[in-house]
Amino acid sequence: MTTPTKHERRIVIRPPLPLAGTTRDENRKLIREWWDELNAAGEEGRPVANVFVMGSMAEILRTFDMPIAFPEMTSLQTAVRGRSLEYITTAEDAGYSPDICGYVKADIGVHLQGGDHPMGHLPEPSLVVATNLCNTYIKWAEIWERMYSCPVFVFDIPGWRGSGFETKRGSGTFRDDVRYVEAQVRELIALTEEVTGKRFDIDRFRENLASVNELSRLFREVLELNQHRPAPFNALTEGINLMGIVNAYRGSPKGTRFLEIAKAEFTERAERGVGAVPDERFRLLLVGTACYSNFRDFAGLFEDWQGVFPHSDYMSFAGGALDRGVHYDLDRPIESMAEQMVLTTQEAMGGMFWGQDWLTEVVREWSIDGIVFHGVKSCRTVSTGLPDEREWLLRRRDIPGLFIQSDLVDPRLWSAAQLKNRIDAFFESLESRRAAGARR
Amino acid sequence: MLVAGVDVGSTQTKAVIMNEDRQVLGKGLVPTGARLNEAGQAAFEQALEGAGASESQVGFVVGTGYGRYRVEFGDAQVTEISCHARGAVFLFPGTRTVLDIGGQDTKAIKVGADGEVIDFNMNDKCAAGTGRFLGAASEALEVPLPELGALALSGKNPVKMTTTCTVFAESEILGWLAKGRRVEDVVAGVHRAIASRSVSLLRRVGIEPEVTFTGGVSNNEAMVELISELVGMPVNVSSETHHCGALGAALFALDQVLTGAIPERQTV
Amino acid sequence: METVESIVEEARALVEDPSYPAARRWLEEHPDGKVLGHFQVYFPEELAHAAGMLPLKIAGFDTALQIRKADAHLAAFVCSIARSALELVMSGTLDILNMFVFPPICDVARHSCAVWARNFEDIDSQIMYLPHNAASPAAVPYLTGEYRRILREIEEVASTRVTDEALRASIELFNENRRLIRELYRIKRETPWLLSAVEAYLLTRAAGAMPRERHNELVRRALAAVEHRDAKPQDKVRVVFSGGFCEQPPLDLIAVIQDACYIVDDDFMVGLRWLTDDVPVDAEDPIEALADAYLHRSDYSPVQHDPRKPKEEMLLRKVREAGAEAVIVAAAKMCEPGLEEQVGYSQALYEAGIPHLVMEFEEKTTTFEQTRMEVETFAESLLFEFA
Repeated sequence: MTTPTKHERRIVIRPPLPLAGTTRDENRKLIREWWDELNAAGEEGRPVANVFVMGSMAEILRTFDMPIAFPEMTSLQTAVRGRSLEYITTAEDAGYSPDICGYVKADIGVHLQGGDHPMGHLPEPSLVVATNLCNTYIKWAEIWERMYSCPVFVFDIPGWRGSGFETKRGSGTFRDDVRYVEAQVRELIALTEEVTGKRFDIDRFRENLASVNELSRLFREVLELNQHRPAPFNALTEGINLMGIVNAYRGSPKGTRFLEIAKAEFTERAERGVGAVPDERFRLLLVGTACYSNFRDFAGLFEDWQGVFPHSDYMSFAGGALDRGVHYDLDRPIESMAEQMVLTTQEAMGGMFWGQDWLTEVVREWSIDGIVFHGVKSCRTVSTGLPDEREWLLRRRDIPGLFIQSDLVDPRLWSAAQLKNRIDAFFESLESRRAAGARR
Repeated sequence: MLVAGVDVGSTQTKAVIMNEDRQVLGKGLVPTGARLNEAGQAAFEQALEGAGASESQVGFVVGTGYGRYRVEFGDAQVTEISCHARGAVFLFPGTRTVLDIGGQDTKAIKVGADGEVIDFNMNDKCAAGTGRFLGAASEALEVPLPELGALALSGKNPVKMTTTCTVFAESEILGWLAKGRRVEDVVAGVHRAIASRSVSLLRRVGIEPEVTFTGGVSNNEAMVELISELVGMPVNVSSETHHCGALGAALFALDQVLTGAIPERQTV
Repeated sequence: METVESIVEEARALVEDPSYPAARRWLEEHPDGKVLGHFQVYFPEELAHAAGMLPLKIAGFDTALQIRKADAHLAAFVCSIARSALELVMSGTLDILNMFVFPPICDVARHSCAVWARNFEDIDSQIMYLPHNAASPAAVPYLTGEYRRILREIEEVASTRVTDEALRASIELFNENRRLIRELYRIKRETPWLLSAVEAYLLTRAAGAMPRERHNELVRRALAAVEHRDAKPQDKVRVVFSGGFCEQPPLDLIAVIQDACYIVDDDFMVGLRWLTDDVPVDAEDPIEALADAYLHRSDYSPVQHDPRKPKEEMLLRKVREAGAEAVIVAAAKMCEPGLEEQVGYSQALYEAGIPHLVMEFEEKTTTFEQTRMEVETFAESLLFEFA
């Protein structure tokens, strides 16, 4: 097969976003249900908790039947619907700096407009649980605290400490960390009892933990399906469908059922050799997130080259490290929750700052040709060290990488021409690498 | 006794001579050039001539504008924000919000009934909401600056400019033209972008009627219309607002003469 | 007899030199000495000092340091201090660090640890996880354990064992330093015409650029010299400056502010003054005493969440106690927590009817015309009386 030249490449058929299939339909249904629940709770004056994807504590909150809102998701939703800029501008007019996280501003903009969101009415939070996994979570929580005088629980999970640090059961540090986290689990339970007026039911809690064990197992299986060539799903474009559900339905049987549907669909595609991107030519690993305000265009820049993303570290950190394997011990539910929080957090945070080993492993296991490091202005948690990581992997492990920048949700930071230049050049270099490899 | 206000701006220097009844007796306007004190002196002399007065009759001179410290014959310096606020209320006594779009910066000022500054905000990120952006458009489109406003008014389908940076404005403008959009629509889009950013700045200090629009860009009829539309009320403009800063400076000079109100400032 | 000016010049020479000359001199005197760098936010320096190490506060520098290499390793939209610190080491300007401890206060800091660890094999780079859930009863035992962990790293780097005796002696020394700095601040608050904002700043910041014993001496000399100073009070606005909790504003910015205002309180170099009281020297467990002090007898900042110290209330209290009439609500450019806090502070000040000026700063700024105008306008709006 001849390699198409630049000019021939124009006729790539772009699949509609996301790929047609039962996973997508199930995602839509469940997201709609989730929103309906939030709307109903808001109307009926029932308490709703605002939580974040890195440490939602859904296992605990679900025990109280408390609907949980994910502002990161609802902000993302304003962007993919082309409405984020208006909310961001509302927040900036109220004094929020152009240089802070766009998710925060999109969300605050919605609140300043009375909760009016394209998908419904965003309820006021009655409780906020913010982990330290992203420092902006805490500042965001403080904003709601001022607006609504709601209780804010900052859940502190010590993470990756530095060069040479290893999370080891039995080490003094691990014991100290777990003890601290366990105390906070109990504090959060007590606070939630107060907010909801309900008693903590440890058997319900065990059920939730069991469900998350299952969710984690299934999630890993789904991710591994993409080791197949061609990759059955595109982590760049379909990743948010998976992550949306594993977050909003973490601990619920609907979450595990969703993954079973996804697993079945992607397995079938794999068996039939149907790839997310037709005529898959390049397999890429995304480090960071997509640009949600210009989602279609962003994906298109890679699809133009028949490039697919079999994996992304987003699938790890945006799921609270579900992919690293969560194994709650149901005989010691509270202690085990603390332990797993520490273990998975240290993996997830380690993965964001000290990601080179995990990335190398994924490159190997998922047959990756190159890594795309996408830095976003909004998120220093994801972006700060990416250029360094890229350079290190290239120099020490000969893994090609590209560093590009735009934003999560702010279309003013999207510069198509600049991005295209860099991306095209990257693919050209991958092509010549391949050609050189074939010649040897 | 007379007082004077001298406003040394980056391109033009203005001066005003005023009497104790707050009547403007003479005005001066010269290009600033490289020698700030000489420009100040020249504007001052022009104003004296207009007033038919001599320097010895002037009891106090206040310098303002970016070159205020270079006006050697000035007795005190007051910032252009304070002076502009005062001047705007003097020209339009109902003013409670001032928008000043200049060549290089944009200021939003919330003022009290006496012209005192209650709050203010300036663009400090970049030139995107200033006259500089119009300058970039003028160059990219090869339309002289004074004609841009009229052209913008005839654009019925303004393009949506997303660039935040004046540097990239040119390439975005050319991009729109390449896509076949009409020049007047592109120009309208540029005007809209500037107006939008400026009004954003205004919202940060809170918009209260009446809004007075000053600065070089206030001569642009399309901009006046857009600002008015975005703030949801008519805005005050006048050809006198050119001397707004110098007027305010003269009023501060008057304060000093009447009540000794300007405090002494020294560095340690 | 010494003058304040000459002592301040000594401090300035140390503060403005990116090669940290006082640290070099210390190394000449202690050839086996080890140096621990950290940001000024807060670090329990006693731990390093007790091991015989020299703790150094690494700050950015203005145009004395050109960023050439660091920007290739960090994403854009990152605060200046992270880039400066990285550049200092990458350029070889600062080649004496053996260990660097990052605070967990923001994600740029945490990422920086990884970038340093990947690039500098000879520097032990650590994140010290200060508690974000400061009000939890479990926070003190946790932090005690975390301090012990850092101490173990320190002991390894310094090849020594730290005894409780040594810790107590260090605590005593640093208690004295904190007392001396509090005295400087008392002068700023009560008689600001005797010590300008820039002078007080240089005298304070020098602490992080020299051995603490010598800094104590420097401040004592300065305090003595101030007593002989004669100056008249001027008509300036009494302000609190908020926003110097991490990256420091350029000296020239402080100079512009002091032309129109007396900075009667601030959070410059807040790490040096974080502990508001003496740490008990005779505590049974000195490490626990340090952890306890960090959590229970401390100042406040946008990067510590503690429901017992709501930041707006703490700021209003600071304004009252300093007898200030206005606040400069500043933030370093690109500093996410600082920028977010500005909104909360502004709203609280507005509701309390306290005039305030919101601004941003950046280490490498060289022109201050616009800032000067903003500060002057602000002062004018407070001082002028209209006829």
